[in-house]
Amino acid sequence: MDPRVTLLKEFSSGFIEGKAKIETDQFGFEFLEWLLSAGGALEYGELTDTRLLHKYKIVDIPEHRMDDLMQLHVMKQFNVCRYFGVEKNDVFCFNMDNNHKTDNTAIIPEMSSALDTLRTCLLGLGCEPLIIASGRGYHVWMRLDEPMDNTLLYEFMIATAARALLPLLVGGADHRAVKFSFYPDINVIDAVSLRLFGSQHVKNNSFSHVFTPSGLLDEGDSWKYFEHFIRNKTTPTATIKAALEELRKAT
Amino acid sequence: MPNPVGLIPANTYPRIIAVDLDDTLNNFTETLQHGEFPYSPADSLSRETFEHYLQLIRNGESEPSDLMSTGFNYCHFKIHLRCWQEARARPNGVEFMQWLRRNQWRIVICTRRDMRRAHDSTRVWLQKNDIPFDYLFMAANKIAFCRAWGIKHLVDDSFFNIIHGKEHDINVYYPILPLHHSLPSHNARGFQTFDEVQRWIQE
Repeated sequence: MDPRVTLLKEFSSGFIEGKAKIETDQFGFEFLEWLLSAGGALEYGELTDTRLLHKYKIVDIPEHRMDDLMQLHVMKQFNVCRYFGVEKNDVFCFNMDNNHKTDNTAIIPEMSSALDTLRTCLLGLGCEPLIIASGRGYHVWMRLDEPMDNTLLYEFMIATAARALLPLLVGGADHRAVKFSFYPDINVIDAVSLRLFGSQHVKNNSFSHVFTPSGLLDEGDSWKYFEHFIRNKTTPTATIKAALEELRKAT
Repeated sequence: MPNPVGLIPANTYPRIIAVDLDDTLNNFTETLQHGEFPYSPADSLSRETFEHYLQLIRNGESEPSDLMSTGFNYCHFKIHLRCWQEARARPNGVEFMQWLRRNQWRIVICTRRDMRRAHDSTRVWLQKNDIPFDYLFMAANKIAFCRAWGIKHLVDDSFFNIIHGKEHDINVYYPILPLHHSLPSHNARGFQTFDEVQRWIQE
C-alpha cells in the first residue's frame, strides 16, 4: 500500500466506514458505472457551478474499494472527502472560509487575524493543531489519542472559535468576513464531509499545503509534516476536557 | 479508468430523461405562498426579521449582501425545506413517472435543491409518493448537466431551460404555469398534463 494512503488511514479511525464523497472532473454514466463497479451505491450526485466539476456521495463502499479510492486521491485523480463519526471522533476540524461572494480565495486580514488567534488559543490550551490551506481559507485539524463525544467536541470548537473572532469584534472589524464551520457538527453530522489532506482544491487546483508559522510548506514537506503530526502531535482527550472546563469558567 | 471528460458525451442514451421536482412534480410555489411557517426563537432571528425574510422569500427576492453565509440564507433554506416536505405531488406526474419505469426509461431526478441538506427529506418525499427514479442529481445548470451526460429530454419549469434547451439539443417540456405567459420566443413544449409529454418523448 502507498505509504501516503497508510498515513491517511492512520490519521483517523473515526470516519464513517463505507461512506465518502468524490470530487472529480469525470462524469457520465460510463464513469458512474466504473465508480460503483467494485461496490457502493450513489446516494446523490452534483454538477457544481465550478467548471464541470462533479461530486458523488457514495455509500456502502467495501473496505478494499475505499483503499483504491484513497490511492487515486493521493495520485490526484480526484478528491476523497470523508464523513465524521455519528457519536464520537478522534479528529475534529475548524473549517475557516472567506465568506465573501467574490474574490473569496484571497487571504483577507480578518482571516489571518482569526487564524493567528485560534492557533495561539489552542496552543495556550495545550493543543497543537495541523493547519492546512484550503481554497477559501484553512482547515485547522486536531487529532486525539482516543475518540471523544461529538457534543463535547462541538462545544469546544464553538468556544475557541468565538475567542478567535473576539479581536475582530473588539477592533471594530466585520467578524462575518470569516465563516467557521465545525466538523463534526452535531446538527448536520451525516450531511457534510471534509476533504482529506492531499487533495487539490476544486477552484484553484492548488495542493492542500500545510501552513506553519513560517509559511506554506511545499508538497513533499507537507507530507513529511503530516507524518510528523500523526507521530508526535496527538492531543490527549484529557487535555481537551480540561481546556473545555477552562473555557466554560471563562464564559 | 474511462475518460468521458468533455462536453460531448461518449454515448447518448435515447431512453433516459431528467425530471425536475419543484413546480414540475409538486406544487412548491403554492405551498410557499399559502403555507404556514411558524416563527421559532431557536433560529436566532427576531420575529420582525423573520417576517421580513419570509416576505422576501415569498416574493422570490433576497437580502442584498456581499457575504455567502448569512442569517437570511439560513432562513431561506429552512422555509424551502418545509415546502419540500409539505408540497403535494401532481397525481398526473406520479402516473407519468410510473409509466417511465414500466417502459424501461432511465430516470434522473434533477433539482437545484442543496442535496447536502435536502437529500433525506427529498428521498422520503419521493418514496412517500411512489415516484420511481434511478439517480438523484443536484445541478444549478440543468442544460449543462443534460448535455454532459447525454440526456436528450428534460422536464422542467425554469425560464432559462425553456429558452435555451433547444440551442444545446435538449428537448425541454414544461408544465404551463401563470408566470410562463411572459416567456419570450422559444422551442420548448408546454403541457397541461403529463400525458402530452408521454406522447412527445416517444415521437
